[in-house]
Amino acid sequence: MEGEFHADMGPQYEGEVIRKEDLYIEFGGPKVAHKFELATVKSPDEIENEKVEIIGPDLDDLQPYDEEKGGGSYPIAVLVDVAGGELDKDAEAIIERRIHMFTNMIEGWYHMNQRQDVWMRINKDCYKKGFTSLRELGEIYILLYTSEMSIIESIQVTIITDEKKIEELLPHALEVYAARDERARTLNDEDVDTFYGCVLCQSFAPTHISIITPNRIANCGAINWFDGRAAAKIDPDGPIFAIPKGELIDAIKGEYSGANAIEAEKSLGTYDRVYLYSAFEHPHTSCGCFEAIVYYIPEADAFGVVNRDFKGETVVGETFSHMAGETSGGKQIEGRLGTGLEQLRSPKFIQADGGLARIVWMPKDIKERVKDALEAKGLYDKIATEEDVKNVDELLEFLEKVGHPWIKGEVELPT
Amino acid sequence: MTKTIAMAGKGGVGKTTVAALIVKLLSQKGLVLAVDADPSTNLNQALGLPLDDSQTVGRIREKMTEDVSRGTLSPTIVKQEYLFGKIVESLAESKGFDLIAMGRPEGPGCYCASNRFLRTSLDKLVQDHEYDYIVMDCEAGLEHISRQTTRDIDVLLIMSDPTIRGITAAARMKKLIEELRSNVGKTGLIVNRVKGELSPEIKRAIEESGLEVLALIPEEPDMSDLEMKGKPVTDLPQESPLQSKVKEIVESLSL
Ligand SMILES: Nc1ncnc2c1ncn2[C@@H]1O[C@H](COP(=O)(O)OP(=O)(O)OP(=O)(O)O)[C@@H](O)[C@H]1O
Ligand code: SF4
Ligand SMILES: [Mg+2]
Repeated sequence: MEGEFHADMGPQYEGEVIRKEDLYIEFGGPKVAHKFELATVKSPDEIENEKVEIIGPDLDDLQPYDEEKGGGSYPIAVLVDVAGGELDKDAEAIIERRIHMFTNMIEGWYHMNQRQDVWMRINKDCYKKGFTSLRELGEIYILLYTSEMSIIESIQVTIITDEKKIEELLPHALEVYAARDERARTLNDEDVDTFYGCVLCQSFAPTHISIITPNRIANCGAINWFDGRAAAKIDPDGPIFAIPKGELIDAIKGEYSGANAIEAEKSLGTYDRVYLYSAFEHPHTSCGCFEAIVYYIPEADAFGVVNRDFKGETVVGETFSHMAGETSGGKQIEGRLGTGLEQLRSPKFIQADGGLARIVWMPKDIKERVKDALEAKGLYDKIATEEDVKNVDELLEFLEKVGHPWIKGEVELPT
Repeated sequence: MTKTIAMAGKGGVGKTTVAALIVKLLSQKGLVLAVDADPSTNLNQALGLPLDDSQTVGRIREKMTEDVSRGTLSPTIVKQEYLFGKIVESLAESKGFDLIAMGRPEGPGCYCASNRFLRTSLDKLVQDHEYDYIVMDCEAGLEHISRQTTRDIDVLLIMSDPTIRGITAAARMKKLIEELRSNVGKTGLIVNRVKGELSPEIKRAIEESGLEVLALIPEEPDMSDLEMKGKPVTDLPQESPLQSKVKEIVESLSL
């Protein structure tokens, strides 16, 4: 590899940081509004193999960073177009993420973040050694992609520094990212063989294990299935680990043999069954870290939700902290579920019990946060908040008045 | 090996002032990470750096949590990596040192996972940047010392004014920190804003506290003028009493 380029390459440079004092020029980053990187799988005839195109000023056209005057931060877009018989849309995110690693492998280059947040730096030394064109960066990408990913049959790289052009293309990139996220959100428990477990909270909730699945974010809201997968890959024996899903026992309540087995092991035999999609019978354990509590309201035969930041009394007259005291400690408590807030968006959220349509009360703040999800189900106006009702009697009246689907008997439980 | 120096002491005794001067001095010997672990974030001012309030670690964490529940953070972006990226973006870079502001610590409740992400991020930050020194300016309440960093402290500088109350508070902090952290290298007392001699009562209180006196810093006459002009303390001339005393302290610690 050496000789051909004006910079050395290799994994030894991956941890290299470029501080402002060594900075020649930076692209993207917090000071720059328009920036992104995007990999696209195309058909072979749309690609001119190994072509590198630079649109806009090149490295040696740009004013470098100056200690006195500042500056030196410029917009950038990196487009990697690839083709290959085995490549599909799902590969795009993986290919795109490699830009991070490949850039960091170049001596004197630094890359942070991804998508519309990208941030690249080149240091003074590297420029001085002759790395004066972005074309070289493109050529290095092509070399690394083709040598490390044999699945790629043809590739072209476009690096844009022309701000107008980047601004013009950015909305398309954002659409692509949103579509990818949408695909990730529609990933279901049925689609994977592996769940993840987390026992970080066992220090104070010794029988607690969070089971993290595509349809179930952790109680604390901080670890979803993708986070679990990343953590388990880095440190498989750590507190976040893979769980083989096992056999599906009950598709509605969300019972899996693999989840049952790990529940038994990690709760030291206290529990041997867990329902992932119900608040009754064998609900998920609650540690103490949960962002919110889903609680049963007997008078309405429905549920309320209260989050940690809500300081007032809930509709049943209890505060979050009072309820949290009863709900925490790693127990399975029927009718009580510690949960991550994002879980309200999951299609399997207490699906066995009627799902979101069984929720009758939540704090206004939360209702606003999940507004889109509630509106999609026609529930936004049906759920009471602290501004609508003060107690259970008022709640029942409210539900009657707005015609809450659960109270009206319109919600059918899945069978 | 990175050396960590932490400042402690009751409110208003000069922790931030001395921390800033130490950062400046050490930055001539190696690369420094200045950690503002006080939620009221004023180490940046003492160092003459601008700071955007949305750029504290606490704020970054809060925003991430909120974005997750709003469904606006991409589910596929690994939160550990995301947090690390935002923390690196939040660094204020200067000659020989970077500044990170911790901001408000988390509210009530438990944050096992996000605290773990934070700790991992901070460890990675120190490792990648190969800082030679970390200087932590702590708040009087010691919130961050107890929770947000797992780093060993090589030198704990407890500050006090020349009052019995200050010395008593310093003694209490020494005990508390030693209970929280088994790994504290050297602990020493700095008495700041000393005018003339220490009174016999204070000398006795120091003796009883078991704290080793590292230095007495005199009242700095130019300080109020500097503050009136809104200038950072690091603008004090090298030979000013405060600067030269801090220089002595750093030299005596052979950092
Ligand atoms: N040696 C000194 N001579 C004169 N003034 C000083 C001296 N040391 C500190 N001061 C002044 O004392 C005030 C408090 O100092 P500083 O903010 O550094 O204290 P602190 O311990 O960080 O306070 P806090 O607990 O509020 O964070 C400041 O106005 C500062 O300028
Ligand atoms: S609540 Fe979060 S940190 Fe605690 S065990 Fe569950 S996933 Fe882990
Ligand atoms: Mg201070």
